[in-house]
Amino acid sequence: MFLEIQGIEKYYGCGESRMKVLKGINAEIEKGEICVMLGPSGSGKSTLLNIIGGIEKADGGSIRIEGKELETMDEKALSEYRRNHLGYVFQFYNLIPNLTVKENIEVGAYLSKEPLEVDGLLKTLGLWEHKDKIPNELSGGQQQRTAIGRAIVKNPDILLCDEPTGALDYNTSKEILQLIETINQKYGNTVLIVTHNDAIKQMADRVLKLRDGQIRKDYKNVEKISAAELDW
Amino acid sequence: MKNPLIKRLPRELKEELGKYLIIFLFLVATIGFVSGFLVADGSMKIAYEESFEKYKIEDGHFEVAEELPEDLITKLEEENVNIYKNFYLEEEMSSENTIRIYSERQGCDEVSLMEGKLPAQKDEIVIDRLYAENNQINISDVLTVQGETYKVSGFVAFSDYSALFKNNTDMMFDAKKFTVAMVKNEKFEELENENMHYCYAWRNQETLSEKKSGEKADDLLEILGTNAVLEDFVKQADNQAIQFTGSDMGSDKIMVTWLLYIIIVVLAFIFAVTISNTIEKEAAVIGTLRAMGYTKKELLAHYMVLPGMISVIAAIVGNILGYTCMKHTVVAMYYGSYSLPSYRTVWNGEAFILTTVIPCLLLLFINLLVLNRKLAYTPLQFLRRDLKKQGKRKVLRLRKGSFFHRFRTRIILQNKSAYLTMFVGILFANLLLMFGMMMSPLLQHYKADVLNSAISKYQYILKAPISTKIEDAEKYAVTELENGEEEEITVYGIMQDSAYLEEMELPEKKDEVLVSDGYMEKYGIKIGDKLTLSEKYTGEKYAFTVAGEYHYPPALTVFMSLENYQEFFDKQEGYFNGYFTDEKLTDVDEKWIGSIITQHDLTIIADQLEDSMGPAFALFGGFAVFIYLLVLLLLAKLVVERNGLSISMIKILGYNHREISSLYNRSTTVVVVLSQLISIPLVYFIMEKLYKAMMFEIRGWLTFYVKPVIFGEIFLLGVFVYAIATIWLNKKIKRIPMGEALKSTE
Repeated sequence: MFLEIQGIEKYYGCGESRMKVLKGINAEIEKGEICVMLGPSGSGKSTLLNIIGGIEKADGGSIRIEGKELETMDEKALSEYRRNHLGYVFQFYNLIPNLTVKENIEVGAYLSKEPLEVDGLLKTLGLWEHKDKIPNELSGGQQQRTAIGRAIVKNPDILLCDEPTGALDYNTSKEILQLIETINQKYGNTVLIVTHNDAIKQMADRVLKLRDGQIRKDYKNVEKISAAELDW
Repeated sequence: MKNPLIKRLPRELKEELGKYLIIFLFLVATIGFVSGFLVADGSMKIAYEESFEKYKIEDGHFEVAEELPEDLITKLEEENVNIYKNFYLEEEMSSENTIRIYSERQGCDEVSLMEGKLPAQKDEIVIDRLYAENNQINISDVLTVQGETYKVSGFVAFSDYSALFKNNTDMMFDAKKFTVAMVKNEKFEELENENMHYCYAWRNQETLSEKKSGEKADDLLEILGTNAVLEDFVKQADNQAIQFTGSDMGSDKIMVTWLLYIIIVVLAFIFAVTISNTIEKEAAVIGTLRAMGYTKKELLAHYMVLPGMISVIAAIVGNILGYTCMKHTVVAMYYGSYSLPSYRTVWNGEAFILTTVIPCLLLLFINLLVLNRKLAYTPLQFLRRDLKKQGKRKVLRLRKGSFFHRFRTRIILQNKSAYLTMFVGILFANLLLMFGMMMSPLLQHYKADVLNSAISKYQYILKAPISTKIEDAEKYAVTELENGEEEEITVYGIMQDSAYLEEMELPEKKDEVLVSDGYMEKYGIKIGDKLTLSEKYTGEKYAFTVAGEYHYPPALTVFMSLENYQEFFDKQEGYFNGYFTDEKLTDVDEKWIGSIITQHDLTIIADQLEDSMGPAFALFGGFAVFIYLLVLLLLAKLVVERNGLSISMIKILGYNHREISSLYNRSTTVVVVLSQLISIPLVYFIMEKLYKAMMFEIRGWLTFYVKPVIFGEIFLLGVFVYAIATIWLNKKIKRIPMGEALKSTE
């Protein structure tokens, strides 16, 4: 199994206000899958994504990626892990404002020994014409494309997307989801998408539904449709 | 692959050009000035030290009543010394200033030609360069001395008169009223008259240690004592005209170096605060980069590049300026005080370390410290913009005051690090400003005090106890001893019922003395303490008990009764060696007069300090205003920038410009006014300590005094500079678009 999640627990706060936000999460995700994590606000889906991404520590349980356990890694090893295996996409893009589109993508490429070819990727992302623009000259969709480009240019094993369409309109959201799908197909990365948009589950290979820090549903999507066909 | 983040740097520099330019220029000016100072100081010191060999400075000189016979000169030279005639005539000029005329010099005490040419004709004369500058004398001007006219052919520096002391016993040199001069040998022979001073200089034939040289001088003194009528005998080590410059040089070095470090620390914190602000602004980006795998070290290096680059380039440019233009200012300061020979700029490794290596390391270290702390948050904390340490999240409840008042308090609390840096900057600026502003009034105050407490119009120091018919002349005895710090202490023996020191109640016990207040303050002496002073050359020690304090500012002084003095120093009854008098002693032959201390002589130390340090005082004031501008502009701008989104939002809500300015600028105004009110008394306290430490390094004691009006002036100047900064800040607030808040979706 590519990604094994076993008994993950997480608490926030202390004393009387201490709250268990993840209550023993178990899941397994195969290499190359698109996994959509659904759930309402406060269900713990972003926390789980951050733990998988190594930017948050679990209080219990373990995460194994290709047999390597995250919990045993120190900060340096975690940084190395993120550098070599992960790509991150956030709801608010978080691009560097005074770098161009191409340069923002190069920021990701720098981290890899064998990055994807930047110009080719720009074309794949539909950003070739905008490559010399800075982020505030772009639309939200173009900015998110750039952020995806920055995440995948190092050809990561796992692409973590935290509400990637949360700040976008319907059409742009669909474009972004199609792009993620294309990338998954083209490069074979495992993709984890956190969203509260129920419709997105239809494009997933695996769906994890969370509520109150627990997995309520975990199933393989046998009637998967393409992102282009999504509707909500 | 090169780190693509590097590409941000030129853009960031361009975006924040104003800020970086101010810091850069300020660094260049400071490093340039200090580097110039150190280079000039070092080069001048080398020129001064080299002048001993280059211009063959004497190992000592003596003056005798009559020209020495050849056999006596031979006898002296058998002591392995070479004897040189340094005869001179001392005359009063039409300007009432004194000129000491020498013939041409060769082999000993040679002169350095600074401008023009040496005398080629009999009617030509060269004079001291500094005296000429002080009296606006130009080359080709005509000087009239005792009816003779001379054309000034050039300006020179006499190697044995780098400080123009007329007499070695004078408290201070006077380059305004006294000069040395040189004429052709033929002319000098024509001038020979009964006023000729038969002065001889000697040079040891081999290089000797100071001790051996002193012993050699004692041997010469012994020969002369039995074979000639000796009027004066001065070893090189005791010759103020030669030694004073050397001991005074470099005394400002510590002060100037500290000025540099104060400014560097202020700048480093400004850098650190502004970069911290950038990090807060870019928290989400940093979080993303960290989440992608960028290490803290990589980001630390990235944020260190600009301050590092700016400081290194500023240090290089500053040093270039230091070695080229800035050194001239300092050289001018030295040439304005001393009659130094020409110099050549010498590479100064110490200056390089002090002005380049240490400031750069200091800047980098402080930035590294702040950035390291700032970047220590986890990627998630950056992503959530949660850049507060755990446990510090308590929100202060503000219940009292109007909404505006509470709003402003929040702004102050939110920006406390910037405001704290602003306070520190204002504190340092006020420190420099107070120093720049206080010194001239302090010297004036000192002069007035000295004149008020002068014992008499004239203090005669005699070579022998000669009597006078002038009725109001009062006998006294005086000698110079040294304390443990090798500082000269004047010991007076005063008549019990002195008409000049009526208020003085001299102790009766033999070893009991009164001590001048400056001496007590400088060395923390208390009544009842034991004082041990020693003879400079013999090392013989004398112990006194302090019975009281007496206000006498001109010198560090010990007073005792004349009878006790005679007994204490083993002098015969009736011994004295000076007169206090308000009238000139016209009946005492000049040859018996060692020196006459006038009221002008008592204040000359203050005049000299003002002349030589005046430009430095102004410079300190200038730097202070510059720091004001720097901290007020950069940090107040930072507060506005940090709140750009909120300002944009309240604009949308309908607040007008006056209201917005009253919220954001008035918060800064409150901090500036409070900083001024707190820092000024604090600065007074610090300055008093610094001043005392500084005075400890120089001879004598000038009581600490800050003219009261200066406090008000410092306060108003700070507020005035801030008022100027506010105009610019208001413009900045006006330029923040409403769209800023609408655009930012996060």
